Amino acid sequence: MDYPTLLAQAAVNGLVIGTMYMLMAVGFTLVFGIMRVVNFAHGEFYMLGTFAAFFTYAQWELPFAACLVIAAVSVGILGVLVERAIIQPFRTDELSGMIATLAVSVIVQNAAVLVWGPTPRSMPNVVEGVLTIGPFTFPWSRLLVIVAAALIFAAFWFFMQRTRLGRAMRAVAQDTETALIQGIRVNTIYPIAFGMSVALAALAGALMAPIFSVSPFVGLTPMLKAFVVVILGGLGSVPGAVVGGLLLGLIESFTATALGSLVADMLQLLLVILILLVRPWGLLGQREA
Amino acid sequence: MRRLLTAALLPLACAVSTHAATADTLKIGVLATLSGAGTAWGMSMQGAAELAAEDVNSKGGLEVGGKKYTIEVVSYDDKYKASDALTAINRLAFDDGIKFVVGPVGSAPALAILPVSTENKMITMTMGFTPKALSPDYKYSFRPVLPSDVFSDPQIKWVVEKLGGKRIGGLFPNDESGQQVAAANEKAYEAVGARFVAKEFFERERVDFVPLLTRVLAQNIDAFELDGNSPQTAGLLVKQLREMGFKGPIIRTGGDATADIVKVAGKAATENVYVHQPIDLASPAIQQYAKRFEDKYKIPLNAFSPFFYANLHMLFEAMRKSGTVTDTDKVREAMLALKDFDTVLGKVNWTGQAQWKSNQQLDAPFYVALIKDGAPVVVAKCTPAKCQ
Repeated sequence: MDYPTLLAQAAVNGLVIGTMYMLMAVGFTLVFGIMRVVNFAHGEFYMLGTFAAFFTYAQWELPFAACLVIAAVSVGILGVLVERAIIQPFRTDELSGMIATLAVSVIVQNAAVLVWGPTPRSMPNVVEGVLTIGPFTFPWSRLLVIVAAALIFAAFWFFMQRTRLGRAMRAVAQDTETALIQGIRVNTIYPIAFGMSVALAALAGALMAPIFSVSPFVGLTPMLKAFVVVILGGLGSVPGAVVGGLLLGLIESFTATALGSLVADMLQLLLVILILLVRPWGLLGQREA
Repeated sequence: MRRLLTAALLPLACAVSTHAATADTLKIGVLATLSGAGTAWGMSMQGAAELAAEDVNSKGGLEVGGKKYTIEVVSYDDKYKASDALTAINRLAFDDGIKFVVGPVGSAPALAILPVSTENKMITMTMGFTPKALSPDYKYSFRPVLPSDVFSDPQIKWVVEKLGGKRIGGLFPNDESGQQVAAANEKAYEAVGARFVAKEFFERERVDFVPLLTRVLAQNIDAFELDGNSPQTAGLLVKQLREMGFKGPIIRTGGDATADIVKVAGKAATENVYVHQPIDLASPAIQQYAKRFEDKYKIPLNAFSPFFYANLHMLFEAMRKSGTVTDTDKVREAMLALKDFDTVLGKVNWTGQAQWKSNQQLDAPFYVALIKDGAPVVVAKCTPAKCQ
């Protein structure tokens, strides 16, 4: 294999992983930006998304677009309920809120093991075949992830910038007190924001389910990566999450291809340490006063 | 008054119940990987234990030294991690007081628990391939399945002679199993004139192999070796290799993973993959066992399961012959004295004294198979000397 092919493969793979990280990180950072909550259960909602996709696509054989919608809506509604029931009581106490989300993650993961069993399941590819451009070959199943993630993010961005609800959310993120004075109902915004955040995680899971496996334990790694991306990009910054996600995916892909996975894993964490030492508010975050 | 009565009766009730438990229940422990990529192996061992227990219990229990015992299976998940395995073996030893353990699956967990199990005289039956698992230092450690050390040489020799490949690539998990298997494979391939030109290690939890496979494919390999990888991982590797356009032969000189590989990668991708086949699927005894296993657990039979089933029946026979279920030294000696013992695998014996100075490795013939249309088809029968 020659260098151009190697680079092209690594780049496409980096974008696939990167867009998944981006979706995870955007949801994660949204919740932090608006609600100041670190959602440790974020990875488990990704896992629920993979199962939703598995059951709707592999078992009930619905069209994949419908599966994505079902995954997003069902997990989103679950997120709203979790916010009202578990996170709302701890709104004034950030630390207890974090511990509550940690509890949610353990409960959800173990419930999944009890209900669905620990055996990993595999999902068939949504699209078969490869795209060949000159000497480069890319499987359609992976390209689909990039396209779908880009569309999902575009929809999300449109919502945040152009709709009333989106503007209200951004107002709450900027300054909750002033938003309250302006008449924005914070008690409605919070659950919706949380629901949207976990819906994004579920979409990431549903998109990646055919590529990786479906099992109750798949949530931990995307969760850790979301953390890394958010530190890289800036906690609370959506553009930071996008840039950070894509960047991390590309870095991971290129370093693993060039240096092997053990070095690549180490390098990513060294990068986190470096960012925390040199620029703790991230690439596009805002300095804490 | 009622409180006083309860306080007085409670210790009596406990005494009665525990006495009843030790009088007719014999607990067998299962310490295996019941979650994650290695689940197929762990379930195969747990299933073997439960089916062997059923065999005995349905005949009224295990009769040893004039008493009848109901076999109860107690399982713990070690997640293929040495730390979790250690926690589990401590529970088995000190909380549950169990003396017979089926497990662990992996070499790293096996090496972690063997000091504890040996000190507490617990007989263990491991799947771990590492040569260090059988040794005079671990006199209660048994291995029912044949490790890479034994089957890779003849199998690799046969496959390489057939395919004529020279440049081999492989991916291995970065722990005891992976490192041992990689070393054994490298030696075996070199002995027949092929070379391992690309060897990558990764953390066991990884699911995205495309960057690593890109590295391996960049070395222009003739064939890819799947040994050392757990069933789910092996399936993902085959799937991702074929998606990347690799059309060369894929060989699995390792523990049985055929069902999972086909499930994850699909029939088209797995056509003509060479696999190590530990059991003869044409034998009626195996077919009967397979049907029983699949009816009960609704998952395909992993070929390692009959080995643990056979070993457990040998254990029960050893208990009957030695007349004890608590003196593990006597049970061990009785088990080692069994020769040409009739099991679901055929007649089996013990081996291993020459290689590891511990004659506690079960000996049975094995096969090389080719996956055709999703099922393994035997193409060669092997002994530790050669395949044909």
